[in-house]
Formats: sequence, structure tokens, C-alpha cells
Amino acid sequence: MNVSIVPTLKVLKPAARIVLVALVGIAAGYFANAAFFPGTSPEQPIAFSHRIHAGDNEIPCLYCHVQARRSISAGVPSLSKCMGCHAEVAADRPQVRLLASYWENKEPIAWIKVHDLPDFVHFTHKRHVAAGIECQTCHGPVETMEVVSREAPVKMGLCLNCHRENEVQHGTDCWTCHK
Amino acid sequence: MSRVDRREFLKLIGAGSVGTGAGFMLAESIKHPVEYLIPYPVPPEEFSPGIATWYNSVCGMCSAGCGISVRTREGRAKKIEGNPSHPVNQGRLCALGQAGLQVLYNPDRLTAPMLQNGDRGSDEFVEITWDDGLSRAAERLNAARERGGGIYFLSQGVRGHLANLFELFMGELTGEPGSARLLHYDFTHPHALYAANKRLFGETHLPYYDIGNSRYLLSFGADYLTDWLSPVHHSLGFGQSRQGNAGVRGRCVQIEPRMSLSGAAADEWIPARPGTEGYLALSIAHRLVAEGTYRGGDLDAWRAALADYAPERVAEPTGVPEETIARLAREFARAEPGLAIGGGSAAAHTNGVDTLIAVNVLNYLAGNIGKPGGIVFNPDPVTGGSSVDRQANYRAMQSLVENARQGNIDVLIVNNTNPVFTLPAASGFRDALASIPTIVSLSSFMDETTILADVMLPSHTFLESWGDDMPEPGVGFSVGAISQPVVAPLYKTRATGDIVLGLAGKLGFAESLPWASMEDFLKAGWRQIYARGAGESTDFDAFWRDVIVAGVWGENLRRNDNKVIDTSVIEGIGMPAPRFAGDNDTYPFILHPYLTTALHDGRSANLPWMQELPDPMTGIVYGSWVEINPVTASEMGFEDGDVVTVTSAQGSIEAPVLTFPAIMPGVVAMPIGQGHHALGRYARNRGTNPIEILAPETEPASGSLATSATRVALAATGRRAAPVKTGGESRQLGRGIVQSTGGHSGSAGHSARLNSIPIVVEST
Repeated sequence: MNVSIVPTLKVLKPAARIVLVALVGIAAGYFANAAFFPGTSPEQPIAFSHRIHAGDNEIPCLYCHVQARRSISAGVPSLSKCMGCHAEVAADRPQVRLLASYWENKEPIAWIKVHDLPDFVHFTHKRHVAAGIECQTCHGPVETMEVVSREAPVKMGLCLNCHRENEVQHGTDCWTCHK
Repeated sequence: MSRVDRREFLKLIGAGSVGTGAGFMLAESIKHPVEYLIPYPVPPEEFSPGIATWYNSVCGMCSAGCGISVRTREGRAKKIEGNPSHPVNQGRLCALGQAGLQVLYNPDRLTAPMLQNGDRGSDEFVEITWDDGLSRAAERLNAARERGGGIYFLSQGVRGHLANLFELFMGELTGEPGSARLLHYDFTHPHALYAANKRLFGETHLPYYDIGNSRYLLSFGADYLTDWLSPVHHSLGFGQSRQGNAGVRGRCVQIEPRMSLSGAAADEWIPARPGTEGYLALSIAHRLVAEGTYRGGDLDAWRAALADYAPERVAEPTGVPEETIARLAREFARAEPGLAIGGGSAAAHTNGVDTLIAVNVLNYLAGNIGKPGGIVFNPDPVTGGSSVDRQANYRAMQSLVENARQGNIDVLIVNNTNPVFTLPAASGFRDALASIPTIVSLSSFMDETTILADVMLPSHTFLESWGDDMPEPGVGFSVGAISQPVVAPLYKTRATGDIVLGLAGKLGFAESLPWASMEDFLKAGWRQIYARGAGESTDFDAFWRDVIVAGVWGENLRRNDNKVIDTSVIEGIGMPAPRFAGDNDTYPFILHPYLTTALHDGRSANLPWMQELPDPMTGIVYGSWVEINPVTASEMGFEDGDVVTVTSAQGSIEAPVLTFPAIMPGVVAMPIGQGHHALGRYARNRGTNPIEILAPETEPASGSLATSATRVALAATGRRAAPVKTGGESRQLGRGIVQSTGGHSGSAGHSARLNSIPIVVEST
């Protein structure tokens, strides 16, 4: 008895074309999403500009993100810190007035995280600041950004390359980051 | 490629669009979820995101009163450790203490005041406001007062200033200060030990048992590593006695019918017949006097009192060979110093107080009173009063039941105690509640008692409340610790003290209880402690801050007074025979219910960590079981996992059999803590509660329930349900590993007897 798969293939032939077109569609849709809706620079509750603060006015990063040198989190400045300057400085600008309204209501601002590592990665700002790593190495040239966006791909490769180049002790051990 | 016709074209268009949509959604779905960074408007002082803040407080999981350090991050409690400065636990903490977090974050906590909306036990509740709840409770209290009706306050055992607040409140409410209607009830309260110390030494408070400095520890039934008084402190002492004293390794001997964790850790485990531990102690005492170890006065009185307890006469009733008794006496006399302690099942017989007196007599005759490594008496608590005499024994609970039945109780306030679960069914407590018109519960959980309440005013957990604690028994000097809230309250609950003050406010007691909050009341109390001696603090505020930061306050005033036992007391020493409920033929076994670290008296059965904690002796997690000697089991045809009914004259429960080599034939043991039908999703419908079938036998001298005095019968049900175990084989099988029972070179007779129950005893 002869067994042939040709009859089966014949039936599949028109279906194959449909599947192929669908796959192309999936790829197109995927990359369209990645290209046009990257989500790397979300709209924040207040249109805060790092370019003005860190770029034009040359405020050091650690002036506001003061926890970075002593904690695992860099921390976002509290409203009281913002108002420390903005009670006087540029108090008439619409976005600063918006800030002042949060302050009057003592309502915390829910900033959206731009640089966010997954929960299974243990990262500490303290050690990296202490080692003299520039903030821009991971966060990109924030001082030029009107709206902060995730430019450097903060993925495992970035961590490992840097750890290898600087010959970090135990820098490539799994448990250094995944603990 | 074939020609594309119209139909084919539409198909391809369809496939392409669906594919594109799917691809888009795929990319969307694997994107990182949006997370927020929410800074404080005004950050608390010294707050840094990502850096933990540690707060010192007091553990509330059992009555030992260990100091804890709680690690918090961003305002949430993350981990509980022992406070290294606290003299009770010195930085250590037991598994139950660690699980305090699961009390705080328990999904079954009562979150707001509630009103019973249907019949009692119907589990229908409506949420009300605090003002409404307090008003309703106050209204009924007022109505009861006007009619001259009975108001009872039944609390879990509390100490420190909260106990004082209860006194003030009940004094005002009933018009009689020191009202007998204020009761503290703990299943585990050692009534017999208090009674024994009172009779022999005239002391109201328990002394400090200095296990750490003793060279020879003779424990009569006290499972000091698991549940006896202050297990974390005793574990430290055990370690010090074994390895911390230069040049000498302390020996430990455990005398009990079923091997506990302390028995397994001991050098020698001696099973004496249940209820005869006191005979053994007096027999050792007889040798101490006969061999001239005792050098005090009243020698003739002692000789006369102990005449009947020569080893040759005691060997028969206790089942411990004469030469073993003589050897124990020799070793105890030679030890410098030795320490004898008693508790657990030895104290839970109808002759419990006499047994504990006999144990204390050993310490007295060996000259261990007021010495390191012996018994050191504690100074009175610095709070001025003590709640120890408030502890309700079984007799007091019975009179509460009787009063309720006769309609003498109008309002019962229950605070975090669960007598429906921890009293035997024979007590009639549950049914008596039906005769009480109003029950107000301050408990944090919907336990078996609270589910029968009418008004629930749920209290904070200990991690959210202000309070303080003076550990009892203390460690030989005055210790106090402030319990501070380590997190903001999670729900609409209130601290117990604040609820009582709220009720007082509604009742118009503003004059006698003027404090706005428990924190104020506590501060007022601690001002008096400050007046005793502030140490280096410059003013009260600095003192208060210092105590809170350290988590503990101490006063190095030690008592090293010796005691001379009165001749009349000596004449009264002796051992009555133990009584057991149920006749020998119908109920051939003695039930030995025991406490576990994990579940305590059942209050922590709602904590998953505790349910999952393997029992140290059997490796079992979850569920209940009945431990039977393998020889008895094979005689009765039981195998591991056979479900049997355990029947006493008072009722019957079911549990699977576990053959356990280190239990005497004739005794069956069951762990306490399971068998809840309330208390939340993790506790409910799991295992059985051996307390339920206990006979209402009391120890006459202390009025406490004799929990080891019930006889039971076992019968097969034909069903099987193997207990969930973490380990496979509990025996060594000749591998010589994990040797838990060390023998003694001179105890050939003892080992031979032990071999009749299959347990390996090898010399260490």
C-alpha cells in the first residue's frame, strides 16, 4: 500500500498562503506597536522637564534624587523639596501652578516609572553611585530630554557588559543580581 | 502560485488584519506593566525609600513577652526578629513570633465594627461605625448597670498598664474596685505552678528558673523548649547550660510519658506513669535527705514527710526502677548546682500542685534557692499591680457558666480569648453564652467565641497598638518593655485600650478615666516608672524616647533571698494518687493532649506559616493525629494512617493514627490547636480539637483543669487518611544518624525496658 502526503498538501496549499499572510501581519503589528507606541516616554501627571532643571540650570542629579547615594532606590523628590524652590521660582507657570495645587491639597503625585527593572532583579543605586558610574550610563542623557524616555536598553546585556569591562568582582554571578 | 480570486483575496485580507491585530496585542501584552513612583508630599523624618526602619516592640503571640525588632520599609512591616537588648529572648525569636506578620496581614481579620444581624452563629453581620458600635455597647452596659445586672469582662491574659486600665474600667463600671467580674483567661496559664510556689515559698509571682547556669536539669513534664513559660529564654538557657559554661556540659533529664522536644533534646528520657511524677520527685528527695545532701533544719520533719517515698516503694507505682531513682538522686545531689522544674502534663493531673511542690522540694533540699543556676525570686512588677490573680482557672470559668445559666449576666465583654474552643464541651460554656443577652467582642478575629457575639468592636493587632509588658515570669530583675505601633493601622480597627477608653467616654467615666488615648494612659503610667530612676535620661520625654528606642527598660534590683520552709508546710508534703475520669475497662488509654510551638492553644491555627511548620517530633504538617506506642498499635491492629475514634465519657473525635515509639503503652497523645470551626479560612475544618472531649476533672488545690486526667477508648473507623509528613522514616535503622536520645552507661535496666518499645538508645 502506498501512502502519500501529496493529497494532504494539496488541501493545505491555499491554507498555507493564508497562514503566511497572517504571520506577516503578526510581525507587522508587533513592530508597529514597538515603533509607534514604545511606552518609553509616558505622559506624566506634570510636564516636568529634565532639560530645564538638569540641563539649562545644571542642577546635579543627586540634588533631587538624594537617596541614590545611600539607598537601593534613587527616590523621587518629595513635594516639599519641589516647593522649596518653586514657592518662589517660576511660580506663575501653569505646570508649576499645577504642582502648587498638589502641594496645597497635600496630594502625592503618581509619577509613572520610566526606568523599571523587573522584580527578580536586585539593583542598588548606592553601590553604582559609589563606584562612580555616571547616571547617564543607564538613564541616557536625561539633561537633554524634555520628556524622559528610556533610551539605553536596560536589559541584562547592558549590566553584564559593564560588569565585564570593569571587572566587577562576582559581577557575572547569577546571584549577584538574581537574589 | 495560483491565481487569487475575489474570495481568496478577501480571505487573505482577513488573515492579514487579524494577524496584525494579534501582533499588536502581543507586543502590548509583553510590555512592562505601568508602575508608579509616589513620593511623600512631606516625607517623615529620617525616611529614605529603600532603606528599612527597625522598630522595637513586644511580641504578642504568647505570654512570654519577648522583645521584638520589626523591620519596616515604606511604612509596611516586613520581618520580625528578636530584640537583642531584651533580657528574655536576647535577640532570638521562635517560629510563632516570626509569624506575627501573618496576624497583621491575615485576610480573615475583622476590619471594622460590626453588628450581628441574624441569630447568633448565623455568620450574618452588618458593618457599623465606631460611634454607633461604642454607643450600642455603652447603652447595653448602662441598661445593665441600672438594673443592677451582671457585667463580666473576659480578656486574654494581659499585663502591664492595659491590665491596670481594665481594672479601673471594671471598678468604675461595677462600682466595686477589684471586681471579681474581671477575668483573664488563658488555656496555658500555669495555675498549678503558681499555687505550688505560693504554698511552698509564699510567693505570688513565679520565680526565675535559671536553666543557663544549672549543671543538671531535672524536668518533670515541663517541655521548656516548646511551651513551658518562656520557651525562647529557656532555649537560650539550654544552649548555655550545654555549651556556654566553661569546662562542663550540663546534663538534662526529662521525665514524661510522651517524648516532647525537650525530651528529645535531653540526655535521658524517663517515662514515668502519668500522674506519678511527684512520687519520683519525693523519692529523689528521700535519697537527698537519707544521704545527707540536705544540710538545713527540720531534718526530722523531712524524714517523717518523706518516709513513705523510699525508692523501693516508689519503683512499683511509677514504673521507674529503684536503681534509676537512686542514680538520679546521686547525680542531682552531686551537680553544682542542679535545677528541678515541673510543668506540662505532670502539672495537669488531679495532683498537679502536689507534684510541683515535690519538684520544688528537690530544689530546696539541694540548696538551689536564691542562687545562680537555681531558683531566683522575682521582684514585684513595676506597674504597681499584677493581673496574675485575675487569671481565671477552670473553677472560675465554671462559676461564670453557672452565673450565665441563672441569668445573672447581662453583658459579657470578650477580649481576644476563645473559651468556646479552649474549654471542654463538658464545661457547658458555649451553651451558657445563649443565656447572656449581650456579648461584646473586642477580638481581632472571628473565632468560635466572637462568632456568637452581638457587637464586634475589633481591636488592632499587637503590631498596631500601644501597650507595655512586664514579662512573667521575669528574669530575676525588673523588666518592662513598651510595645509601640510599628505600622499605621491597616483597617478600621482600634487598640484595645482605646476601645475601653472609648466605652468609658460613652459611659461618662471622664472623671476617673480622663485619658484621651492608650498612649496618654501609658505615658502617665511610665511617668511613675521614670520617677523610680531615670538612668541617664534628662527628662521624662527623653526617658520615654530612650525606652521606646531600646525597646526595653530594666532595673538591676535582684533578690537573692533564701527561703526557709515552715515545719507545718513540710508536714503537708505528700502525694495523693492521681484520679482519672472514666473507668479502666471501657476507656483503657490515658489521653495526653500537648501544646505545640506552632499552634499554641489554637490561636495561631489561622496562620499558614504555622500550619506548614512541621511538628518537630513527627514531621507532620496540617491536621491532627493520635500518637500510639507501636506495640499497642500492633496489638490493636492499627497502622499509620488508620482513622480512629477517640472516645471519652464526654464525647468522641476522629483522627488518624501515628505510631510513635517514644510514648508509653497505655498513653495516647494528641496535639492541641486544630479542629476549629471558625477563625478563618486557614484554621477552619482542619483536624480535631482534643480539648473538646476532656473530662471536667479539676486539680483541687489550684482549681485548674486537669487536662491529662481523661481516659479514652480507641476504635477503628475503617477509613484511612495518612497525615501529611515532611519526613519518611523516623527511626535510625542502624545508620547512627540524628541520635536524639542519649542513654546512660549505668542504666542497663532502663535501656532494657525502653527496648520493649522499639526505640534506639545508644550511649553518646
